[in-house]
Amino acid sequence: MTRKTIISTVEVLGQSDTYTLRELCERGGVNAEFIIELVSYGVIAPVEERPAHQWQFDTLALARLSRAMRLQRDLQLNLPGLAMSLDLLDEVNELRREVARLNQQLSRLIAD
Amino acid sequence: MEFKDYYKILGVAEAASADDVKKAYRKLARKYHPDVSKEQDAEVRFKEVGEAYEVLKDPEKRAEYDQLKRMGAYSEDGRFRPPPDWESASNFNGGGFTEADARHFSDFFESIFGRGGSAHRTYKQGHQQSFRMRGEDVHAKIALFLEEAFHGCEKQVQVQVPEIDEYGLVGHRSKSLNVKIPAGMGPGQHIRLRGQGAAGFGGAENGDLFLEVELAPHPVYSVDGKDIYLTLPVSPWEAALGATVTAPTLSGKVNVKVPKGASSGQKLRLKGKGLPGNPAGDQIIVLQVTLPKSHSADAEALYKELAEKEKSYNPRSKLGV
Repeated sequence: MTRKTIISTVEVLGQSDTYTLRELCERGGVNAEFIIELVSYGVIAPVEERPAHQWQFDTLALARLSRAMRLQRDLQLNLPGLAMSLDLLDEVNELRREVARLNQQLSRLIAD
Repeated sequence: MEFKDYYKILGVAEAASADDVKKAYRKLARKYHPDVSKEQDAEVRFKEVGEAYEVLKDPEKRAEYDQLKRMGAYSEDGRFRPPPDWESASNFNGGGFTEADARHFSDFFESIFGRGGSAHRTYKQGHQQSFRMRGEDVHAKIALFLEEAFHGCEKQVQVQVPEIDEYGLVGHRSKSLNVKIPAGMGPGQHIRLRGQGAAGFGGAENGDLFLEVELAPHPVYSVDGKDIYLTLPVSPWEAALGATVTAPTLSGKVNVKVPKGASSGQKLRLKGKGLPGNPAGDQIIVLQVTLPKSHSADAEALYKELAEKEKSYNPRSKLGV
């Protein structure tokens, strides 16, 4: 089923857009204990080190949480494995972008 | 619908043991996971693999599937149709527990085992007492051409939004949205569409839709954060003597001053000519000294004269030769 809607309000998210622990739980559909565990394993991190009830997370953390949940569900990773996978994936993606950029520049240099 | 060969999808023999099936699944799930794989059709493959495993890991479903496969329940047009009196004993409908994301199983799967999805997600989180639950956020990516990101654009996106029906079963529906992308979005930046995620339950708020911007490779420019890189060819005499040359930018042509004695790889920065924003990025020009493919006899004579005059210059001095 497909429905079409015209959207006019788009928000560009920057560093000032943050979410509390409670908001993160609601948005991800997970409980606070799970988030606290994710933070203790470094899977996601609040913007500043503070007691849990004062935590603020940025949009990147929110996106990372959704990725973490997908990976955990689909590949049955434990938390240390999850933390490492996400770090490595970030690095791999960074490198892929860099390689693509360099390849592109290189191909221009040897094109003529 | 097509008959799906679950054995082929997992790359195992029909006689494969439960262990082999599990091993094959785990390997393919890692390989095609959409968050991991860079292959184009990763998402489709991943769903197929998950569906195949859902059937083959369960002895009961596997036996039923094998039976159908042997019976060859095909109609005259060669397409698969389950026998009219077919009813699966596994009763997948009833919310049978599944590890995989059952929202994405195919019509083929559903025609044999019933509709996927279960209410366990709702229960697991203990929201069932309140009957009010904020809709899930949905995260997706949006791919833009550099020109679109630079100028802003209107773009249609397709997203899969989870939906809970009146029986508490989680399904999904495909939603198409026209999104107005503001100028200057860089790769990795997020935009939010409020209330466009999954619907709230029991009158609670809808979730939001988050879109992460990705840029398609551009034939001329490359992008690093908010900066745009351009390789600009210059002739040896322009580089040696300095010159004012024309360079393209995404907002039109500009004149650039090539400094006297410039060399290949030297960078020139055009402030504020990168992706718009606050602050805007820069366009960074990387000079590349280029020679004509052939020279006239006159030009060759001049080169000979130049070679004589610049005898002391050894471009390979750093190599120790």
